[in-house]
Amino acid sequence: MSGPSFWGQAYEIGLKDLRVEGRTGEVLNITIPFGAVALLLIPLAIGTDRPLIASIGPGMFWVVTLLFGMLVTFRQSATESSANREMMVLLGVDPAAQFAGRVVASVLLLLVFEGVLAPATIILYNPDPVEGWAILILVLLLMAVGLALIGTLASGITAGLRSRNTLAPLLVAPLALPLLVGASQTYEALAQKSSILTPILLLLAVVLGLAVVGVLTARFLEEASR
Amino acid sequence: MNRHRILGLIALAAVLVGFYFGGQAPLDQLQGDYTRIMYVHVPSAWLAYLSFLVTFAASILWLARRKPVYDRIAESSVSVGVFFTALALMTGMIWGYPVWGTFWDWGDARMMTTALMFFVYLGYLALRRSIPDPAMRATRSAVLGIVAFFLVPLSYVSVIIVRTLHQGITVVRPDSPIDGEILLALLSNVGAFTVVYLAFMSVKTAIARGEEQLEEQSAAADATPAGAAITAPNLEKVRDV
Repeated sequence: MSGPSFWGQAYEIGLKDLRVEGRTGEVLNITIPFGAVALLLIPLAIGTDRPLIASIGPGMFWVVTLLFGMLVTFRQSATESSANREMMVLLGVDPAAQFAGRVVASVLLLLVFEGVLAPATIILYNPDPVEGWAILILVLLLMAVGLALIGTLASGITAGLRSRNTLAPLLVAPLALPLLVGASQTYEALAQKSSILTPILLLLAVVLGLAVVGVLTARFLEEASR
Repeated sequence: MNRHRILGLIALAAVLVGFYFGGQAPLDQLQGDYTRIMYVHVPSAWLAYLSFLVTFAASILWLARRKPVYDRIAESSVSVGVFFTALALMTGMIWGYPVWGTFWDWGDARMMTTALMFFVYLGYLALRRSIPDPAMRATRSAVLGIVAFFLVPLSYVSVIIVRTLHQGITVVRPDSPIDGEILLALLSNVGAFTVVYLAFMSVKTAIARGEEQLEEQSAAADATPAGAAITAPNLEKVRDV
């Protein structure tokens, strides 16, 4: 009797992660309010210059998404002990399927995170409106996928280490730079009505590259976590 | 005289030759003597890229073949690469203050990507220090060495992607506007810094090999031999009965 297929395994892993989130409510009850507090604090720190706040609003949104989105992607590995990982090996779960499942779960949670904080940014910062909402939604999706991929990779690299809580953000924040550049450049291009091709291609290339590296190295990271 | 000293002396001689050409090359009309900082800045940046490329290749080889030499090369090259990245950043800032009027330009994509590359590879070294098990350390670092590398081409092409104050790609392009003597000085310094890289790598890989041997000896000394809890039978008493 054969076990579930690759995508079947990925689905189960993703569902397990989402169930854990459903029980703990960490993203919804803690990370999203934390991100909203950050969005509130920034204008207080820089003063109440309304044009300035409106101009930095989109950038602040991307930074908050990056920094707090990291917490969303690390949450799954924080709940996993080495016994959990051993059990996955004994069950014969494909490491690449585990990776894919975790990434998909993180993407969904990050989309919820972005879905709540994007309107909050518009209300709080009142940025100049831009045309091309469909493109912005695509950028939000690419940002979520890219961040989920980097976060899941960093979680795998630092799994079980004592310094994990400080080391993983140190790795993710600089690695997420292309995502930040791609997202902010797309917004700027939309605002100036110039070509969005280069930043969108950058985001796509990063997402594709990380997905390939993540799937190819999943087995090695699983071996190194035992 | 051992191999490291010979390489060190060759590196020193190469740097002196490079600096000689740098001193002889004509100055930029506007920048004056600050032009000469470029003969350290540009080779440092190129060598940083080369170091991380070597780490990338050695990391793939470690994952494919599991030979400790690849892990040593990957680690050593990151250590040397971090040094060159720091040197490129510092010389860039020293040059930037008189020429651009600021040490750090927030709109400069090359500076930002290089600084972030520096921090990712510092994270690589921190990761290695966090993992005591050699095989686990090598594998996890190899994955990071592969993932982190994508910042290198990004840093290189950042001057094309983002509108920036930093000078665009100048040397490696068909219609390069660079003066022949300046190019000679630049390339001789790139050559000299490459020899410095090789000298550093030679010493660093030797240190890494020594550390590995020390770890192995320490692990062997700490390990309790199988059956250590069982004491030998006292045969003299058996004879007495």
